[in-house]
Amino acid sequence: MMQHRLSSALWFCAPFAVLIVLWAVLIPYFNFNPRLFPLASSVIQAGIEGILDGTLIHHIGASLLRVAVGTSLALLVAIPLGIAMGVSPVVSAFLTPLFRFFSVLAGIAWIPIATLWFGYGFGAITFVIFNAVFFIVTYNTLLGVSTIPLHVRNAAASLGAGRWAMLTEVLLPGALPNIVTGIRTGLGFAWRGLIAAEMIATNVGLGYMLFVARDFYRTEVIVLGMIVIGVLWLLLDRLLLAPLERATIERWGMVQRA
Amino acid sequence: MKNLTIRNLSKTYFDPYAGTNVTAVHDVSLDVRQGEFVSIVGPSGCGKTTILNMIAGFIPHTGGEILLDGRPVKGPGADRGVVFQSFALFPWRTVLENVAFGPKMRGVGKAEREKIAYEYLALAKLTEAAGRYPAELSGGMQQRVGVVRALANEPDVLLMDEPFASVDAQTRMTLQEELTRIWQEKRPTVIFITHDVGEAVFLGNRVVALSKGRVLEEIAIDLPRPRSWDALNDDPRFKELSGRVLQLVRSA
Repeated sequence: MMQHRLSSALWFCAPFAVLIVLWAVLIPYFNFNPRLFPLASSVIQAGIEGILDGTLIHHIGASLLRVAVGTSLALLVAIPLGIAMGVSPVVSAFLTPLFRFFSVLAGIAWIPIATLWFGYGFGAITFVIFNAVFFIVTYNTLLGVSTIPLHVRNAAASLGAGRWAMLTEVLLPGALPNIVTGIRTGLGFAWRGLIAAEMIATNVGLGYMLFVARDFYRTEVIVLGMIVIGVLWLLLDRLLLAPLERATIERWGMVQRA
Repeated sequence: MKNLTIRNLSKTYFDPYAGTNVTAVHDVSLDVRQGEFVSIVGPSGCGKTTILNMIAGFIPHTGGEILLDGRPVKGPGADRGVVFQSFALFPWRTVLENVAFGPKMRGVGKAEREKIAYEYLALAKLTEAAGRYPAELSGGMQQRVGVVRALANEPDVLLMDEPFASVDAQTRMTLQEELTRIWQEKRPTVIFITHDVGEAVFLGNRVVALSKGRVLEEIAIDLPRPRSWDALNDDPRFKELSGRVLQLVRSA
């Protein structure tokens, strides 16, 4: 098992290693203008500097905090609402058209009005994250509740489950596979939206770091930022979301191992 | 005595495809005494599952009444345990937690309800499987869990809806024998729905033959207990009773 994990991690890293080697060899060989494409070594240099002087950590911290706050708030509202929609055909029928409409809008389109409402910075960007996660998780929760077999709900009722127990013992765990899928997809959108929003509406964060570096032709900082954005997402997905899926729904046999 | 009384029960619903009202259950009356095992047998579409769903309170009845211990049935409740053809176990709960679910809903503490659950798991020889999840079990094992989960809640009536229809023939015979053994030990009141005449006769104290939503006849099953397939397969009385029920169901 451990060995399997290790070898699959190696296989995952292999193409990146090849890419980095090509980069380190080809860019100096063809004597590329570093203002257009940086040397691998100067990106590493920029990374070390960013960590030592704290600016990189500062930007990462700001971005992660926005994602954490926006996502948490979205889940707090989305899951109860999704369940309400799942158990009540009236609520669901009434809200579904709105959700169709807003799920298309979710994301960067909210930036202009969000900056008017919340000002530049934390509020506006957190709102964009909230939007990206909220609509997808609500919809997936609704889907999850509606896929719980009627027999399972009937079984709980005939074992004496009241409304509250039905919610916590049946509807929530029953919808969990879809909720987790929703969070994974929603966070993916949120992460992309975050970078875009940070280019426009703030003065700290990874998106901002990228955007400002352009003004000074600091391509090594731009590429560093892009690498950090990608790596952070992979870590988030692999270390937080995938284990959550493994620990619960795969064990329960509710989804097939991918 | 907690008797179940069904009087002039009927169910009519609107069929949107046919565009007319359809009567699935006509004027069914049935008395089930505490501790009795009643099999209801009939072909697909005879209304037997509809009757069970009305007793369980999953669907409303449109005529007549259902009284348990003198009180009318309104909606599902813990006084009527149900065993489903599709098992309907909670996939996110271990076998132990599934069986302890009913006591948990009654507010029984963790240690006590696990003790109850282990006791019932032992009854169905499931002690080893206590920590496993339903998806890790065979169909036969899952339905054993389904049966003891309902029993562990000590319902006044146990409603079983073709519980062994989706397991293989050998497992089904074992489950039937186990059910008669558990019934003798715990003496629950059981209403058992099936389309299998042999199963209905093998298990019941009484067989109610049903066709097109009406009761055709009730037949008392005077076979001795404990019952086993080895003993009953060639038993003339078993053959005679099965033959009579089969004739009833087929002639209607």
